[in-house]
Amino acid sequence: MDARNFTFMFYGFLAAWLIVLVYIVTLARRSGRLRKELEDVKQLFEDKQAAPKAR
Amino acid sequence: MSIQTKPLNSSDAAVPSGPATSANSVVVDRLIYAFAGLAAILLAYNLYQIFMVLGDELQQGAIYRIIFFHVPAALTAFIGFFVAMVLSVVYLSTNNLKWDSLAAAINEVSLVFACVNIVTGSIWARIIWGIWWTWDYRLTSMLVCILIFFGYLLLRQSIDEPTQRARLSAALSIFGCVDIVIVWKSIEWFRTQHPGPVLSIRTGGGSMDPTMEAAIYRNLIPLLLIAISLVILRARQESTAREIDSLRRRLM
Amino acid sequence: MNGLSYAWAIARKDLAVEFRTKESLNAAGAFAIVILLLFSFAFDTASDEPAELAGKLLWLVFAFAGALIFNRGFAREMPNECLDALMASPIPAASLVVGKAFASFVLLLIVEAVSLFACGIFYNMNWTRRLPALFIVFVLATWGLSIVGAVFGALTVNLRLRELMLPVLIYPLMIPLLTGAIELTGALLTNQPLTPDVLLWGRVLIVFDVVFTSLAILLAEAILLN
Repeated sequence: MDARNFTFMFYGFLAAWLIVLVYIVTLARRSGRLRKELEDVKQLFEDKQAAPKAR
Repeated sequence: MSIQTKPLNSSDAAVPSGPATSANSVVVDRLIYAFAGLAAILLAYNLYQIFMVLGDELQQGAIYRIIFFHVPAALTAFIGFFVAMVLSVVYLSTNNLKWDSLAAAINEVSLVFACVNIVTGSIWARIIWGIWWTWDYRLTSMLVCILIFFGYLLLRQSIDEPTQRARLSAALSIFGCVDIVIVWKSIEWFRTQHPGPVLSIRTGGGSMDPTMEAAIYRNLIPLLLIAISLVILRARQESTAREIDSLRRRLM
Repeated sequence: MNGLSYAWAIARKDLAVEFRTKESLNAAGAFAIVILLLFSFAFDTASDEPAELAGKLLWLVFAFAGALIFNRGFAREMPNECLDALMASPIPAASLVVGKAFASFVLLLIVEAVSLFACGIFYNMNWTRRLPALFIVFVLATWGLSIVGAVFGALTVNLRLRELMLPVLIYPLMIPLLTGAIELTGALLTNQPLTPDVLLWGRVLIVFDVVFTSLAILLAEAILLN
């Protein structure tokens, strides 16, 4: 293979996948946060529904 | 006015569907893995082709290979923006928030691919043109595109009420997509530094080696698959957020 | 009454209020002059052809001053829930947007006339040579700015960061329009012949106006419904 400009080609490929990777990481973090929030809200909801019966 | 009753209905439906959604999400999980796995296999094959089989471009050396990601990334982004526009129209005519979530997810993922396009292009330009950036019309239109859809995400962030957010961002999605077409059409009228159209759908063939052009299209498939799996992930987050929102409302 | 006469009623109402208080006219006019002043520090005003620069300068000024006017358009209906009352009235949403756009259009044209005059004095530029053609360009481009401004004024009216979001959203959308207006105005102010290349930008302006006016009419209901 022609070796001219090989480093910058490498940078280009690296940058392309880095952007996608960073996006995936932010997606994963947001997923985790949302899941936790959903658990919390569901817990609150169940507590509230259970409360009148206990009384 | 019937629209205002919609969120209440959907929030009623959202709560009892606990076990059903988890079964659903297993299927969706498998779908994401399937798409991503298929993308990985295709990508490995394409990378082998790009590096080992395809010859070198005469003048540019190794760096011309960036085009195999640069062009498919742009195509993925544009396909995404267009599909999101169609889904926005569907949302406005059905008022089903499902379409809004999907449109939002697609626009966000398309924005990522638009960034991939512009960054790879910039790195290529540093070598071939000697500059990182030029106000060539095609570069400018991609930047305009990124700014418009960044504005779309900003708009979504600044509205809390789901149906209002959905209607306004659908309108922006339609305006933005139509605007891009107008911006894009003006390229052909303006002198330009960017290499002219090379794909044979634009030129009628002849300006690019067919094996190289085929490699561009072949690489579009894995990128689209990656985009689709990211969209599914993102859309699922939106529906989780909706579920949280409706639970919160019922708590109040 | 049909949609157009409703729009005309809205525009007349807005213009009457505006000419009585002159709040956005004064603000936008003063803002335009201030920007023209600031540009005099940013660029070499002693250059041979100030008219070449002026075409570019003017449209930036108009875009900036326009944002002030567009911001007021729907925001002025916020106190006392006037917007809700307007939406509850038999006026169609499309007429409301088009009427608002027309009011902004007239106001912006006034600001443009003042800026053009000021620019002629400050930058020693002869702008009267091709006045009819210049007027057509100004009308076409200003309508495009106004209709986008009205739609996005309606879109951002309930947002927390209204004043900030409006420019962020409208300027990228306006780029084809501004490029066309700059090219045509530059050619007219420097008294160059209108080559087919330059005239193509006239077509961009017309396409932009037609497409965005139709979209505004189609989407007005969705944007304004609360």
